[in-house]
Amino acid sequence: MFDTALSWNDMIFLAQGAGMTLMVTAVAVLAGTVMGIVFGVLRYQLGTWWSLPLTFVLDIFRSVPLLIQLVLGNAFQAIARLGWEPFTTSCVILSLYTAAYCTEIVRGGIEAVPPTTRRAARSLGLTWWGDMRYIVAPLATRVSLPAWIGLTLGVLKDSALVLWLGLIELLRASQILVTRLQEPLFILMICGAIYFLLSFPIARLGGYLEKRWSPHD
Amino acid sequence: MKTAVVAGLLAATCLSPAAHADALDDIISSGTLRCAVVLDFPPMGSRDADNNPIGFDVDYCNDLAAALGVEAEIVETPFPERIPALMSGRVDVGVASTSDTLERAKTVGMTIPYFAFQMAVTAKDGAGVASFEDMKGKTVGATAGTYEAIALEEQVKEWGEGTFRPYQTQADVFLALSQGQIDATVSTSTVAQANVKTGNFPGISVVGSAPFDTDYVALFAMREEYGLLNYLNLFINQQVRTGRYAELYEKWVGGDLPDLTVPGTYR
Amino acid sequence: MFNYTFRWNQALNALPQMLDGALVTLQIALLSMVIGVAVAVALTLFRLSGNRVLRAIAATWVELARNTPALFQIYMAHFGLGAFGIHLSPYASLLAGIAFNNAGYLAENFRGALKAIPDTQTRAARSLGMPAGQAFRLIVMPQMFRVAFLPATNQMVWAILMTSLGVTVGMNTDLAGITQELNARSFRTFEFFAIAAVIYYVIAKAVTLAAQAFAWRMFRY
Repeated sequence: MFDTALSWNDMIFLAQGAGMTLMVTAVAVLAGTVMGIVFGVLRYQLGTWWSLPLTFVLDIFRSVPLLIQLVLGNAFQAIARLGWEPFTTSCVILSLYTAAYCTEIVRGGIEAVPPTTRRAARSLGLTWWGDMRYIVAPLATRVSLPAWIGLTLGVLKDSALVLWLGLIELLRASQILVTRLQEPLFILMICGAIYFLLSFPIARLGGYLEKRWSPHD
Repeated sequence: MKTAVVAGLLAATCLSPAAHADALDDIISSGTLRCAVVLDFPPMGSRDADNNPIGFDVDYCNDLAAALGVEAEIVETPFPERIPALMSGRVDVGVASTSDTLERAKTVGMTIPYFAFQMAVTAKDGAGVASFEDMKGKTVGATAGTYEAIALEEQVKEWGEGTFRPYQTQADVFLALSQGQIDATVSTSTVAQANVKTGNFPGISVVGSAPFDTDYVALFAMREEYGLLNYLNLFINQQVRTGRYAELYEKWVGGDLPDLTVPGTYR
Repeated sequence: MFNYTFRWNQALNALPQMLDGALVTLQIALLSMVIGVAVAVALTLFRLSGNRVLRAIAATWVELARNTPALFQIYMAHFGLGAFGIHLSPYASLLAGIAFNNAGYLAENFRGALKAIPDTQTRAARSLGMPAGQAFRLIVMPQMFRVAFLPATNQMVWAILMTSLGVTVGMNTDLAGITQELNARSFRTFEFFAIAAVIYYVIAKAVTLAAQAFAWRMFRY
């Protein structure tokens, strides 16, 4: 089994694939989180009724398979002649996908802040912005962080789907090597191990924070 | 009045090339020809030991770029993404072994055939498949959406027994075949021979030809870009005329050179 | 901006075919949930057991399922097992991959749910004379399912979405597989995938609503 044709060059190729996976994930999580915070605050402020259109649109991203979203997004940018690279298309779709989940996390975080605390803050003369910045943000972050880390992990793994658009990320790089070297099991196991190495530390950090910050312990 | 007309005409002459620049002009002025090529389809497109693109289609794109006097850029596209890549303007031309079906020609512009595939049956040793007819009742597969996949699926339906499985890449088909997931596959004979020859897939061999019509494949471009499509047609003709087609065929495939024309008709 | 003529009628003609695919999608998702819940309960018991080997198996399963992409798991079920000479059909590979994934996530849910059930309940049950197994089955499990029901609903939606990955292992009877085949034949990507997206959305919403209705009937008091 360790008698393999896998060369040093191929390992670098895999590493480049992993780099692409990380890059797409980083862009999507960053952009998705910023959008998620904006949408989350909007949803909370507007109330259920007025934020209905926003809720509906974001819900689509959570109820349609990511693969379909990517193909559809790519076909749309093709029709609109936007001329986006697969990397751009992947990042845009993944960001929106992340934002859809992040919005829920942010809204949940804000709702978890007791209204009495916020009223107390406002009575002390804090503006809405001051209340948001000094009271809600720290408390909501604490509640939301474990879920947010879970989301980051999800996006890291879901980013494998961008291979459909021709982006050579980790899984696609492995498939290319499988095609050339015909050692499916060995190469796939390396691929799985790399995914594991990327996500396990983050998962552990999430578990640790959850334990540490849990309000019940 | 006269000056105004002259000025107007002058303006029209100066502006019209910019306003009516078609894809062909765009390629020449940009200095790059971007080709969509499928790279898991040896010998038409694959990767060498340094994972760089090689193959018949890659060389064909390079020739086309040389004829246009521009640089060639190979854009790897999986089979399903060939058309979105073209539509979005990410590539100018598809050099991607695309069968010129009437159904597809409703969406993209197809040139005259630049290559022709014969269909061959490749079987897993010991699966008891020695000819096309033996595939009846067996589990068979092919690359989804290709000419041979569509024909084979219809054949399986007609036989009324056996299973058909489409895989998304040619590589997956041969992987599945060598693992014994499927008993046999129909693929283009060039692809079958190239894959068997690599020795990467133990226990499979080409057992015969499939009685499907010749699969003519065409270059494709945007449907309304007649200028470019015209140029491509002439280019294909020139490739045959100058013997470059035969040369490339010998380099990547070898054997009898397939005829690119259908007897008794034009195009 | 749009130099493209949409041809919806052509795509809508294929609607019956796509709806058949939607049924297959739903069937796989449901089956994968049933298997997933059964395995997850077993894994949860493994994790609680004193046997170190069982605990290790459960931990490995959960970590692998949660830390690798679902697409990878399905690909592995088909081509990875294939290297061992174990041949699963695309349907079985897809089902196995999703069930593996479901079981991992659900086991984690169940563990979280168990934590929410006070120890005192088990102790009370035991003092009433119930054997340990019975106490777990009659007292702890029902509450565990109740707490874990909402996350499990989410997992069900996930399972539906994951079925779309079957196309990578040669699946051609589910919604994504049929859509992809129609697309490959005609190159009308946008139309076919837009319709598929709508169908997926409707299925996901229907399942969520049904689960909510079910939860309301079962778990209210």
